[in-house]
Amino acid sequence: MRLAFRWAGLGLAGLLALQAGAVDVIANRSVPVSQLSQANARAIFGMRQVKWPDGSLIRVFVLPDGHPLHSALCKERLNLYPYQLRQSWDRLVYSGMAQAPVMVESETELISKVAATPGAVGYASRAPSNEKIRVIHVD
Amino acid sequence: MWISKQIPCVLVLGLLLQTEPLSAADDQLQWHGFLSQAVVHTNDNNVGGHSDDGLGLDMREVGANVSYRPNGDWLFSGQLLARWAGASDEGDPRVDYAFADRTLISDDSRRIGIQVGKVKNPYGLYNTTRDVAHTRPGILMPQSVYLDRIRDFYLAAPGVSLYGNHVHADWEINWRVNAMRPETDSKDLEHLFMLRDSPGSYHGRNSWLGQILAERDGGKLRLGLTLGQVKARYRPGMPDVFSAGESTLKPRLLSLEWNSENWSITGEYGRIRNQGRGYGPFGAGLEDPNTVETWYLQGTYRLDPALQVYLRRDAFYLNRKDRHGAGFAAATGLPPYLGYAEGWVLGARRDLGAWAFSGEVHRTEGTGWLSPMDTPLLSQRKNWRMLLLQAAYRF
Repeated sequence: MRLAFRWAGLGLAGLLALQAGAVDVIANRSVPVSQLSQANARAIFGMRQVKWPDGSLIRVFVLPDGHPLHSALCKERLNLYPYQLRQSWDRLVYSGMAQAPVMVESETELISKVAATPGAVGYASRAPSNEKIRVIHVD
Repeated sequence: MWISKQIPCVLVLGLLLQTEPLSAADDQLQWHGFLSQAVVHTNDNNVGGHSDDGLGLDMREVGANVSYRPNGDWLFSGQLLARWAGASDEGDPRVDYAFADRTLISDDSRRIGIQVGKVKNPYGLYNTTRDVAHTRPGILMPQSVYLDRIRDFYLAAPGVSLYGNHVHADWEINWRVNAMRPETDSKDLEHLFMLRDSPGSYHGRNSWLGQILAERDGGKLRLGLTLGQVKARYRPGMPDVFSAGESTLKPRLLSLEWNSENWSITGEYGRIRNQGRGYGPFGAGLEDPNTVETWYLQGTYRLDPALQVYLRRDAFYLNRKDRHGAGFAAATGLPPYLGYAEGWVLGARRDLGAWAFSGEVHRTEGTGWLSPMDTPLLSQRKNWRMLLLQAAYRF
């Protein structure tokens, strides 16, 4: 019985590990950063940080709120819930404090936008093999 | 020194009429907007029109904003708003905000900036977007803390705003200090201070509001403190029993929010010290210092990301030392329940794409937050119930 629990536990851990690898933060090759703290990633996707360290403009691309990949980004990379990100965007956008991220409909479109836009940041379910895109490690 | 009312209008118009093709990508120039319409039914008292035993339809908001970010240092934002809320707001279009924002310092762990123009004032967790239905914790703002009768004091105002955002490990600290002059053109203020529609009018004086908001773990815990001193001068009419007095409100407001995947618990507790001076021989009632006490506690449960139910307890006391209005009644000859309001609110909201549909029921004792412009003081009833339905859209 105890063994069964242990196996179940391992199975669950394995699933979680798979889940955790399910989304990567990606950026345009021009972005002068390869690593971000979780707090910085939150400030960027939360539209509160608007400049990269070299002064260039951060351009945020996202999928719709209900998209599984968007949920995965919020929960696994940013450690928050999609509704919180939505609330904080709305508070900023309708008080003029910041602009909204650009929303696109599909992961393919998101990847091509990030590849084509200098300063762009977004996310993908696996690192795309595109030389115009770099993966950003969030920890 | 103070920016006149016209400058924000010019700024917004300038942005709206920008005919020169902008070379910037479309995400640097953005448009957003919102609208909402509510239907109100009350068994007594009026809210948002003739709701008493009927349907009040005069609760509506329409707004649109434009923002332009030419680079990482500058942001230009403006929003136009028309709001209908019974007799106290009848939809005159106005500039909700219009300012230029300059980032002064920006690095990995902080950003400090300044805004000049008609700026949004910080007050509690919800004030800056109180007219955008999607961002409110219900159909009506909690009337205790976000009393519509004094919204002019806390809304946007011509002035300067200095703000900062600091990231430190699991914490993010946001602060903001505004120096401004409130635009107090509502008759509601006279009703609140003088208990009548007086021949004169109130005009904002140099004021400030500041807020510090600490968020842990991306907002799982949010803790805020708002402080300030807001002033308005009374300009008497001809004739008038009152002289050119001045009223000062000093708000202190504590905010607390806890968020999990399915639950949000929000509570805010505020005290507003109110003191008048210089109103002349008949102004004793206006010059007695008193402290308004307000609080609410709300629990929200999300059955799924697009469906939530909420329950709120809301309390408003015109005078903290006379919570149930005995002294108020003795001094004014009016019923004591005009000096407070305690209520329960139960509601639900369903989000469908850009739409949100909400319904809520109120059960209230007292009429402290009710506008006498919709329900004259002497016809206000003590115990009353209200049903509100609202459809809201935003883009």
